[in-house]
Amino acid sequence: MNEPFFSEFFGTIGMLDSIRVTIIMSFFSTLISSILGVTLAILLERSTFPMKRLVVRINRTMMGAPPVVMGLLTYMLLRKRGPLGFLGWVFTIQGMVTAQTLIITPIICGMVYSYLVREAPRIRAFAHTMGANRMQTNLLILREIRNEVYFSVVSGYGRSISEVGAVFLVGGNIKNVTRTMTTAISTLKGAGDYYEGVFLGIILMLMAFVVQTLADWFRKEVREDENY
Amino acid sequence: MRITDLTRRQGDFLLKIDNAYFEPGKIHGMIGSNGSGKSTLAKLIMGIIPADSGCIDYEGLTPRDITMTGQKPYLLHSSVYQNLIYPLKIRGIEPRAELVDQWLEKAGLQHKRKQYALSLSSGEQQRLSFARALIFGPKLVIVDETLSNLAPDGVRLFESIMEQQQRENPITWITISHQLVHISKLCDEVHFMEQGRLVQSGTPEQVLKHPTNPSVIQYLANTEVSFKG
Amino acid sequence: MMNKLLTASLAALMALSLVACGGDTTSGSQSQQSSASGSSSQNEVKTPEDPILLMATTTSTDDTGLLDYLAPMFKEDTGYELQWTAVGTGDAIQKGMDGEVSVLLVHAKAKEEAFVNDGYGVERVEVMYNDFVIVGPTDGPVAYTEDVNAAFSQIRNDELTFVSRGDNSGTHTKELGVWSAIGVEDYESNPNYVSAGAGMADTLVMADEMGGYCLTDRGTWLAKKADFPQMSIVCEGDDNLLNQYGVIAVNPEKYPDTNIDGANAFIEWITSDEIQEVIGQYGVEEYGEPLFFPNAK
Repeated sequence: MNEPFFSEFFGTIGMLDSIRVTIIMSFFSTLISSILGVTLAILLERSTFPMKRLVVRINRTMMGAPPVVMGLLTYMLLRKRGPLGFLGWVFTIQGMVTAQTLIITPIICGMVYSYLVREAPRIRAFAHTMGANRMQTNLLILREIRNEVYFSVVSGYGRSISEVGAVFLVGGNIKNVTRTMTTAISTLKGAGDYYEGVFLGIILMLMAFVVQTLADWFRKEVREDENY
Repeated sequence: MRITDLTRRQGDFLLKIDNAYFEPGKIHGMIGSNGSGKSTLAKLIMGIIPADSGCIDYEGLTPRDITMTGQKPYLLHSSVYQNLIYPLKIRGIEPRAELVDQWLEKAGLQHKRKQYALSLSSGEQQRLSFARALIFGPKLVIVDETLSNLAPDGVRLFESIMEQQQRENPITWITISHQLVHISKLCDEVHFMEQGRLVQSGTPEQVLKHPTNPSVIQYLANTEVSFKG
Repeated sequence: MMNKLLTASLAALMALSLVACGGDTTSGSQSQQSSASGSSSQNEVKTPEDPILLMATTTSTDDTGLLDYLAPMFKEDTGYELQWTAVGTGDAIQKGMDGEVSVLLVHAKAKEEAFVNDGYGVERVEVMYNDFVIVGPTDGPVAYTEDVNAAFSQIRNDELTFVSRGDNSGTHTKELGVWSAIGVEDYESNPNYVSAGAGMADTLVMADEMGGYCLTDRGTWLAKKADFPQMSIVCEGDDNLLNQYGVIAVNPEKYPDTNIDGANAFIEWITSDEIQEVIGQYGVEEYGEPLFFPNAK
């Protein structure tokens, strides 16, 4: 496994593009899932309705839904003959982001919801004693559980970059277009190129590590910022 | 502030106040055994929990004029400074440096403004919460057992802040406490609660020295040691 | 507000790394392009209106590297960029029926004909074939033969270990076809018959580990045989082991938005004499023999 072999090899698998696709996809999946998940968690915590316990239980179940099932479901929704076929999102990053959003939103929603259930009543009572209005109260709640929200978002991001089943099903693992690092690893494994797969896997983990480190560093900045 | 026919049921417990009056600008002490409904009444006045029936006439006070500080205050996950100015911030008031410094000093936290609030000692946390409740100039302050587990010098600090406030700009206080020394020294009026009802009100002299209600007599007998000590 | 700030910051971080990677990718593809244009001129080729051609194909064409080899030449000759998703044969045909792709390159004659007859495909055009071989332990009980009936019967009757793909792939379909052709219906009663549910390379690994036999396409075997010094071919050359690849354009009457011009260009291109010869030479340099045998008419 000398260097020329590796460079030729990773050209064949489309490594740089798979890294690019992974980054774009995980960014948008995480962004959309975070916005949806946090919003839904707030709505769920604030509202009371007859089937609420059932909804919460469904959410908990969805947190553990097999990605491949969600991928298949998304494929069936998005294919030309499916209800959302007009979008033309099969074999596109949009399609992969859709599938991942279905997988990650319940995770972020469920995590944030459980933090809210634990913390929000106290924060709400406190905000009331301070005379905060509704908007200020909600902002305060988010602000106060920001570390937990951050943790949920990072968990979602981790899920996004490591997920393979749904992305394979909806994206089709098309080289340079929808091949992600995980599906590239899967392709390598299918071709029996185990060492190269592990190598790409290590790069993936290094990327996750760098993002985690940067995020931690930034969070520290935020905290120090406030202490003026 | 006048309370009329106020009821609130919580499980087996029923709070029922037929008629009560809290004279503005005075310090009102609330006493009574545990579970007598003092904290529930405080939450009703604060508006944290709704009443089942009855009404509270705040005599022109708005929710933004009322505040409450408890035994285990909620502190923001932020610095002492950020905690202190929070009520100003939500009212859109610029936190003037001298005002902030003045309250930090009163609370004995002048050297800790940058410290993470949750890393303060429990006494410091209560003082911070107390300063935060007063910095924006409320008209009614409910102090719920804040003094119960403070060291003696901590209690004296609270008392001096309250006394200073009443000299300069009298506001209404409702302080819930088991420390009868503190109640008798500070309060203009004392209200005794028993099983969700207000059974005796009057000056500290009347209620503590010449109790008429058997429950009050019983309560005072049980807490005599701490009172005299 | 904090939440937004955090999200925004996370976004900024990812965007930053995106820019960094984007830069890498661009420079990489630029160098690829320059080397491609350096090898021959492509001035006469016009860029087609819809330059992306989506194809569904089987894993064998992808795993052997044939498509990676052909795609740049196709682009140079016609201007079309071939993109493919490599899945099982059944899945590939289903994707054609869904109109998600414009062209199929698969090897399951009966299913392909049904696909055309049902109106999903325009016409099935034969491109090339490869053949299957049975591989197993070099010093195992099955002696080298050109009669698949003899080899499979011995495996069944002597209850030798046999690892089947078991994944409804073209290879698996082929294996079932062979069992059926030689009249053995109870092949699964062999206690040492293993249904792997895995890809070709993984199945070879399993067969090697278990000291058993398996049916593999010759292309994968040639590409991988260096990893299996204990194994060799025990059966090859039988007509029942041939594997015909067909290419089919998805019917534009069913799905007007598929790239029918691109599909026709690809079919014409891959069946041309020049490219047929290229296919026939693919793999000779590396393995000493071709992986696919062109037979377009």
